[in-house]
Amino acid sequence: MHNTDPAAAAPVAEPIIRVEGLAKEYRVFDKPEGLAASVRALFHRTSRVVQAVKGVDLTVGRGEFVALLGPNGAGKTTLLKLLSGIITPTRGTATVLGHVPWERADDFRRRFALVMGQRNQLWWDLPAAESFRLHQEIYRIDPARFEKTRDELVDLLGVRKLILQPVRELSLGERMKLELVAALLHEPEVLFLDEPTIGLDVVAQHTIHEFLRDVQRRRWMTVVLTTHYMKDVAALCERVVVITRGDILYDGSLAEIVDRFTTHKIVTLDFDEAPDRSVIARFGFPCEFRGPQVVLRIDRSRIADVLPGILGSAGVRDVSVEDVPLEEIVAELFRSDARAAAVAEASR
Amino acid sequence: MSGSLEAVRPAGPLQGLRTWWTMLKICLEERLVYRGDFALGTLMRFLPIVTQVFLWTAVFGATSRGDIAGYTRNDIVAYYLLTMLTRAFSSMPGLAGGIARSVRDGSVKKFLIQPVDYVSFLLAARVAHKLVYYAVAAIPFALVFFLCRSYFPPVPDATTIAAFLLSLALSFLLGFFMEVTLGMLGFWFMEVSSIVFGYMLVQYLLSGHMFPIDLLKGTPTGIAGVSLADVVHWLPFEYTAYFSSAVWLGKVKGAQLVSSLAIEAGWVVVMAVACRVAWWRGTRRYSAFGG
Amino acid sequence: MARYFTIFLTFARACLVRDMTFRANFILECLTSLGWMSMNLAFYLLVFTFTSEIGKGTGWSKEPFFAFVATGLIINSVVQAFFMPSAEELTEMVRTGGLDAVLVQPLDAQFLLSMHRVDFSALANGAVGVGLLAWAMSRMDYTPPAVAWLLYPLLLLCGVAILYGLVIMLAAATILMGRNQSLYDFWFYLTNFSRYPAEIYSGPWGGPLRMICTFVIPILLVVNVPARVIAQPFTGESWGSVAAAVIAAVVALVVSRVVFQRALSRYRSASS
Repeated sequence: MHNTDPAAAAPVAEPIIRVEGLAKEYRVFDKPEGLAASVRALFHRTSRVVQAVKGVDLTVGRGEFVALLGPNGAGKTTLLKLLSGIITPTRGTATVLGHVPWERADDFRRRFALVMGQRNQLWWDLPAAESFRLHQEIYRIDPARFEKTRDELVDLLGVRKLILQPVRELSLGERMKLELVAALLHEPEVLFLDEPTIGLDVVAQHTIHEFLRDVQRRRWMTVVLTTHYMKDVAALCERVVVITRGDILYDGSLAEIVDRFTTHKIVTLDFDEAPDRSVIARFGFPCEFRGPQVVLRIDRSRIADVLPGILGSAGVRDVSVEDVPLEEIVAELFRSDARAAAVAEASR
Repeated sequence: MSGSLEAVRPAGPLQGLRTWWTMLKICLEERLVYRGDFALGTLMRFLPIVTQVFLWTAVFGATSRGDIAGYTRNDIVAYYLLTMLTRAFSSMPGLAGGIARSVRDGSVKKFLIQPVDYVSFLLAARVAHKLVYYAVAAIPFALVFFLCRSYFPPVPDATTIAAFLLSLALSFLLGFFMEVTLGMLGFWFMEVSSIVFGYMLVQYLLSGHMFPIDLLKGTPTGIAGVSLADVVHWLPFEYTAYFSSAVWLGKVKGAQLVSSLAIEAGWVVVMAVACRVAWWRGTRRYSAFGG
Repeated sequence: MARYFTIFLTFARACLVRDMTFRANFILECLTSLGWMSMNLAFYLLVFTFTSEIGKGTGWSKEPFFAFVATGLIINSVVQAFFMPSAEELTEMVRTGGLDAVLVQPLDAQFLLSMHRVDFSALANGAVGVGLLAWAMSRMDYTPPAVAWLLYPLLLLCGVAILYGLVIMLAAATILMGRNQSLYDFWFYLTNFSRYPAEIYSGPWGGPLRMICTFVIPILLVVNVPARVIAQPFTGESWGSVAAAVIAAVVALVVSRVVFQRALSRYRSASS
């Protein structure tokens, strides 16, 4: 199923991220439960090797907005940490902006940023403005430019008033917005986002989407994002990389993922009054009755053939044809992969 | 821990015993899993004594007298080792702070709702913790005491040993009730840590943790014929470290031993009553003001 | 270098702002460290009511001994103020993954990790140390030569450098092990050996202990060398110990740097 779609990475002029055979293994020690077991563990610890990332190949061009998708523990964050140089790989090579990330050259670190949705990087007890100043020093940003960039970003997110308030007094959404401002002050060419919208309400999510899209286009920034929210993906990313169990399962455009992995369309029919169930069931598609509304799942290949017949049924007032929701597609993708893995495991 | 709350609910002795056993097992597991280096940590706790021993050796080397306030150099070494043992009974790390925190964050509420007596619950938990601690720390303690056996005077008679053990048991209760009372002050003061700190300072100096209280016999208090040691004798602090050690070393004998034990027992009663009163008044205040 | 200094000042300012926001807490912390210190001073005063000297013929009578104690206070307060708070926070950063954020910044990680927090309340002890030193020196019959006064600040710095090296090595162990509680206890117990004049470690047990704490873990050079230089007669032999302290400081800085870099390259980051 390993698939790299060259069309998806078509606008690549200049590869910014190149990854070849990148692998990261951990040795983990088992934590036993129970009294006797913990006494035994004092003398003999059992360990096993976990392959967080196993031999990943990936190329990302300048200006791309890529989503890394995958179930928990798939290796998304590990990959992000490898690319930002926080950890060293077991095998393989990678360059980001022409640098090997884990050499942590200052030149490299000045040119990218990492934002982790679950971690706070601003000084907790101080106003964000103070943290911004510190960033200015650390990243050696020209003072005039710093102020211009800061004001621009702050206004885009509508958080100008908040930067003088101690961070601990802010809400999660407000903090996240300020985190993003801090990360973008030095105008990074590459931005890594690890679950940037986790725990945020719909309004804040929307603001952040708009903001990211705006800044990314304006600066022609390369962005790699991990997330569990398909809303993030739909709003921001053209390219999707699906990772499961440390391996790339799919790499291509968002449109294609929908195209390739959906076998059905969702057809919603509105009737004048609750229809006769047996009439609808006659079409032989899985269906769900909601009073005067019926939701059918119809094979994509057959939709053109059967739709006229269905519309001909008595009392149809309205119809809509939609793709299966992205969440469902991705969940199905993960599930089918897990099944395949189980089969492979069993046959070994 | 909410499961072990049942431990103190009067639901028949068998039930109580079983939950007690569960609680003990949990404590032991916690120690073993999260403190694999616990025994080593206990051994390291003896390191400051090494410096103290060398310091006192140097002090004795510089004076012509054979003893200071009745202590020979060997007595001093034995004294410091014994205080380690006494403090293993009387010190209650985190107790006062924990109570104050549970008042502040409101988790103490559950003891107002559930049919559980808070002080008994704390006592049960603390006894379990201490038992676990002794089980693990016994080996390093035995090792150090064995290696240092030559510093100790001959083993005292049975009466002294009995008095020593009684004083240890009382020092546990005294330390416990003092800290609980301190923690209960959280009902009245937001920031108990400063009070705890003040208590620890006084405790550090006057409990005999730093030096035998006998050294204060020559320190004047301003009142004729009353030394600082005499004042400390009537305060509760020295009974949490100095007293038991002095009993074993034979510094306190006869009628004085009896009266000292009486003072210690008196303080235990006073503190036990004080912490009860603090709990009653505190919870009344708490429910009146809505926390 | 200038940039690092500016950044350090920014850190220091941020910490000061924070301390001043929670003023009551700050004052409490000052009082805490002053409290413990005065308890120790009281103990030493008590000891000197029973003896005139610590160790026969060592020259550590009351005033020189208090000059020694003052030197220890100054050195320790600097370490406690500038390095320990960051090192203590490191465990938390390893556990929660906060270290990740540090590693992506274009700054020396060791600098950031060992200096980003300043605890100004720890300087209270140092201030008392300076006062105590002035008091002890003014009451002493002996007046140290000018060269001793010149060497003293340099040796204080060496003492700080040796302790800094130790802190960094413990921090490295923290990164590798992911926890540190007993390690910092260990730091406390280890530095405990530096609290008294080296002369007290004598005899069949003390001799080897003194050797180990001088040459293997040079903890005895931290306070002893600067204190001896001003509180004991300055002779030709003093130069030997001065050289030892300088060498130990350089070695501590270099070795700790190497160890820390190794540890960072083996950092595995908290799982997400």
